[in-house]
Amino acid sequence: MNPSGALLRLSALAVVLVAALLLSVGLGAVPLGAGEVLRAARGAGDPTTVAIVQGLRLPRALQAALVAAALAASGATFQALLRNPLAEPYILGVSGGAAVGAVLAVVFGWAQRAPWAIPAAAFAGALFAIVLVLRIAASVGRALDTRVLLLAGVVVGAFFSACILLVLTFADVESFRSAIFWLMGSLSGASGRGVGVLAADLLPGIAVLLALARPLNLLAVGEDTAAHLGIRVERVKLLAFGVASLLAAAAVAASGVIGFVGLIVPHVIRLLWGSNHRFLLPAAVLLGAAFLTLADTLARIAAAPTELPVGVVTAFVGVPFFVWLLRRSVV
Amino acid sequence: MLHARREQETENRRPGAVPGRAVLVVAGLVLLAACGNGRASLPEGVAVAATDSAVSVTDDAGREIRLAHPARRIVSLVPSATETLFALGAGDRVVGRTDYDQGPEVETIPSVGGGLDPSLEALLALRPELVVGWEEGKDPALRQRLAEQGIAVFAVAIRDTADVFRNVERLGALVGRGTAADSLNRAIRSGLAEVRASVAGRERPSVFYVVWNDPPMTAGPETFIAQLIGVAGGRTVFPDVKQDWPTVALEEIVRRQPDIVVVPVGEMRAHSAARLREAAGWRSLRAVRDGRVVEVPTDLMNRPGPHLAEAARAMRDVLHPEIAAGGR
Repeated sequence: MNPSGALLRLSALAVVLVAALLLSVGLGAVPLGAGEVLRAARGAGDPTTVAIVQGLRLPRALQAALVAAALAASGATFQALLRNPLAEPYILGVSGGAAVGAVLAVVFGWAQRAPWAIPAAAFAGALFAIVLVLRIAASVGRALDTRVLLLAGVVVGAFFSACILLVLTFADVESFRSAIFWLMGSLSGASGRGVGVLAADLLPGIAVLLALARPLNLLAVGEDTAAHLGIRVERVKLLAFGVASLLAAAAVAASGVIGFVGLIVPHVIRLLWGSNHRFLLPAAVLLGAAFLTLADTLARIAAAPTELPVGVVTAFVGVPFFVWLLRRSVV
Repeated sequence: MLHARREQETENRRPGAVPGRAVLVVAGLVLLAACGNGRASLPEGVAVAATDSAVSVTDDAGREIRLAHPARRIVSLVPSATETLFALGAGDRVVGRTDYDQGPEVETIPSVGGGLDPSLEALLALRPELVVGWEEGKDPALRQRLAEQGIAVFAVAIRDTADVFRNVERLGALVGRGTAADSLNRAIRSGLAEVRASVAGRERPSVFYVVWNDPPMTAGPETFIAQLIGVAGGRTVFPDVKQDWPTVALEEIVRRQPDIVVVPVGEMRAHSAARLREAAGWRSLRAVRDGRVVEVPTDLMNRPGPHLAEAARAMRDVLHPEIAAGGR
């Protein structure tokens, strides 16, 4: 793909993302006219409408876009590093560690004292999982062996799942319910301040991964090739693993476990336009953001006022599309 | 997921739902009353503020809800509270309800989705002055979200029949219908007394109440369900469990051989008595083999509110069918 063609496609994806964000702010359980929404976005008009548009819809749309951008960048990076199509953002036990943190925050009553206790504990749990997995992998061989890393991620994840089940067996009904809701993943907790914090956390991380596009291209071919071509393989790997895991940790801390986006979106870009990471990474970020924003909008309005779990919509819409794409590209 | 769903549909609560602070507040009020400050006749947790119309009520999260005047626009996320508001003659003030509220009187009221995960924007658009919500225990996310929007939440936890009476009183205070609340409570009490009197002197069968069939889950002795069984002339076969909604091993139920198995039947097929009668493990119960599996309406049992006496009557009719038939 020539550079101008890539730029054209990225611009088109950016337009799709902006359209998705506008649609997400415009649509919801409460029918509002476009004029009303625009007035409310400027802070004018009926105070309840302002609260709905500025306080609920806008932060939620932005959080969906940010979280999905982080998950897509993280997923694409893991797939390149591990050279495994099943790799996804949670592969190093991030979701399991975050879930343990969140569940403990609920069960021990920290969430009662501060609303940020659950995301903070989830983030801490995710960090703990990442460190644990990296240490297990590092203790096996001198260099970071991706196969060992994968296995360490799987077993640590399984261990954390068991921890959650154990804690929930003895938890009261309310804690149990909170934990299940959290595990299902949801963007309903989005608030203006939260989105600001999230943007400050996620955007630099996404920028780092975008900057690693060239070394990732080489690493995806093979570590020896990359080393021959002057890449400091271990340093790049550690940086990419670290940043991709941190992005996944921050995303999961904000919105719970939202699956599918980090796994499938990078594959969609690969199937459509090839696997040059200089294009793949930004394209996955934009497409992922647009996709989750639209999926969450659908989740809010499909059975309004009842909200569907966003994971249901991402899978119901995404899987048929992906299967079609897969068949088209293989045949 | 099943559990979450189940907890939405039933109004079941476990111990610990009322935090220590609420207990302290109540204890404090009782002490005040004992000191003879002239408020001894007020129900626990209800205080009348200086002006006539202002209301102040302590909810089950231990928070004080103050309203400058009785609430005029209420979104109720708790089906039994919705029923109570209607029974108090304040049904016209209910401007929002959940998907789980049923019946002709609530049909025209817009729903905000689930009681635990309502659509916030649908809720805000109704401009409520008061939201009656579930006491969320250790993760009060919804209350925090609504507080950000400046909406007062009256958090409710219902464990036993005393909670039902307390809720009627406090909801009555919040809508300025204290007298109606008193007479509603009197009516419920006399209804319960009537049922209790009708079974006086009769043998009390042991009852296994099926909250859930797989894994078997029942009602603990401190719950309104066990209390209703008592009023209706039965006794729970698990009087010794500590939890309110415990999971019990099927073999322990078999060991205790309850005289009657009571199955709440409603929309949820998993509860259906017919399937229970066919299930392999349950066939080990004499009550199941001998056809002593009886049904009660789920909706009535899971809404501990103004229809409490009706629920007791329904329970009595299945535990003592000879009374229902009019015989002796």
